[in-house]
Amino acid sequence: MLLRKLRKITAFQAVLTSCLTALAVFMSLPIIFIINHAFKPQNELFLFPPRFFVQSPTFRNFESLILHASNATVPFTRYLFNSIIIAVLTLGCVILVSTMAGYVLAKYRFHFKGLIMSMITLSLMFAPETVGIPRYLIISGIGINDTYFGHILPALASPVAVFMLVGFISQIPSELLEAAKIDGASHLGIFARIVLPLSVPAVATISILTFQGVWGDVETSTLFMQEETMRTLAFYVNSLLSGLQNSVAGQNMAAAAGLLMFLPNLIIFLLFQKRVLETMVHSGIK
Amino acid sequence: MNAKARRRVERLYQGKKYGVGLLFMLPWIIGFCLFVAIPIGWSLFMTFNKVQVSVGGFKYEWIGMRNYRDAFLKDNVFPIELITYFQEMLLMVPIIVIFALLISLMLNQKFPGRFIYRALFFLPVIFATGQVLSELFLQGAGDIPFLEQYNLLPIVEEYVGAQFAGTVMDILGKAVLILWYSGVQILIFIAGFQTISPTIYEAVRIDGASPWDSFWKITLPACVPFISLNVLYTIIDLFTFPLNPVLAHVRDNMFKVDTGYGYASALAWIYFAFIFVLIALVLWLFNRSLKTRRAHS
Repeated sequence: MLLRKLRKITAFQAVLTSCLTALAVFMSLPIIFIINHAFKPQNELFLFPPRFFVQSPTFRNFESLILHASNATVPFTRYLFNSIIIAVLTLGCVILVSTMAGYVLAKYRFHFKGLIMSMITLSLMFAPETVGIPRYLIISGIGINDTYFGHILPALASPVAVFMLVGFISQIPSELLEAAKIDGASHLGIFARIVLPLSVPAVATISILTFQGVWGDVETSTLFMQEETMRTLAFYVNSLLSGLQNSVAGQNMAAAAGLLMFLPNLIIFLLFQKRVLETMVHSGIK
Repeated sequence: MNAKARRRVERLYQGKKYGVGLLFMLPWIIGFCLFVAIPIGWSLFMTFNKVQVSVGGFKYEWIGMRNYRDAFLKDNVFPIELITYFQEMLLMVPIIVIFALLISLMLNQKFPGRFIYRALFFLPVIFATGQVLSELFLQGAGDIPFLEQYNLLPIVEEYVGAQFAGTVMDILGKAVLILWYSGVQILIFIAGFQTISPTIYEAVRIDGASPWDSFWKITLPACVPFISLNVLYTIIDLFTFPLNPVLAHVRDNMFKVDTGYGYASALAWIYFAFIFVLIALVLWLFNRSLKTRRAHS
């Protein structure tokens, strides 16, 4: 059975596959590097030339990271708790708000629709650094400094998510929605019973993108939070890294922290990846 | 029902539909205005001011266009960095797009395990968030050691001239980055290839065209819209790249006492304007090539 399958592969296919395998291995090198780096003992971290694979893996780096954190004023677990709760709440809110917006932008006609669409594409191009201080002024104006709202609300109106969802939802056949309307479904019913379940692949994609944005975001913690207890894991890791960059002793903690920040992204991606690739091919946009 | 009443009912229905649409949009619109639109407008306003942080908050002092003039006349870092970065980008964009085109052509062939390869090439996009990337570059994983080992610089200098050699070497050094940044482009191309119907290829093959011919005569022309989409996407992607030196300069200026936030915003807006012009140019070129092709056929 296997032999017959192998015989079917032509020379062209063999060359193609080996080319692609070589490229794919080359591409995954950095990922392998991050993972290996985190388990290297102190003496291997400073080897020159640096090695890709760890010789004698240890968990010492993680131990010293957690020990270092527990000596600080705010325990490590507090940052972790903040990060998780913010990520979960933001994810839920972004999904709800942007599917609602994407649904009506794709299927309804109303005033200012063209304006809204062009605003979305324009704001995709704008670098986020430049709006930091105006955002700070607005946040302190509404008085949501040092609350979880300060973390969640700025991420809520995501142009990327809506941009992608509009493309995806407009491919749902209108006849389906009309049929539901004739059967007496309300607007909200159509949205909840038909549009949401059908756009699960797109929702999976924006979940990944949003999760990454929120998980790695340090801007809200640095600008809007003055209380140390309200800041996130990303902020903690970042300040740890910048404080330790030049010290020899800190390198192992930095390596472990790098893996720690990277791992949730990997897990989320593996959970959703099949659906994501479907959406990407359908909507043709990130 | 007479005509008037019918029109009234119709208007009521349409109005209701408009209302529902806006109602669904409302949460997003509020969020967008508060945290995206107003801040962007505000930063534009700040570019015409000298913004100083004082005890009670921010102090604005209207200075008109001076921030913009300073950016080009007084700042001795910004114009140089802007030009170098644009040079680099003008080389990087075609390389990324052509590379993505080649890879997607390969991935579009039928071979076992195709799905796994597609996922592998897309994987980096998911990880290529700012933090992971900058961490990698800090630790030197993005460099390619053979560049220094074989001392390629003189050879490159001989071929492209001394003033471009630095840029070319930079790009060679970023080969991994190019691979990493072409994931989305590859997917867009693959999606684009699916729009070409296989019967055309069959017809051409019967007429005696080689695969080489059918690539130039059919695949490539059909892909022009996707190429333009990819060029735009790549420009935007590189433009908001977290390790970008121009944005780093903007960030540095933000909290300097003598320049301040107003000046930093002005720099960002100049940068934005440059990108906008570039994008408009690309769009115009592609539109023109599409039109001439249509006129010919």
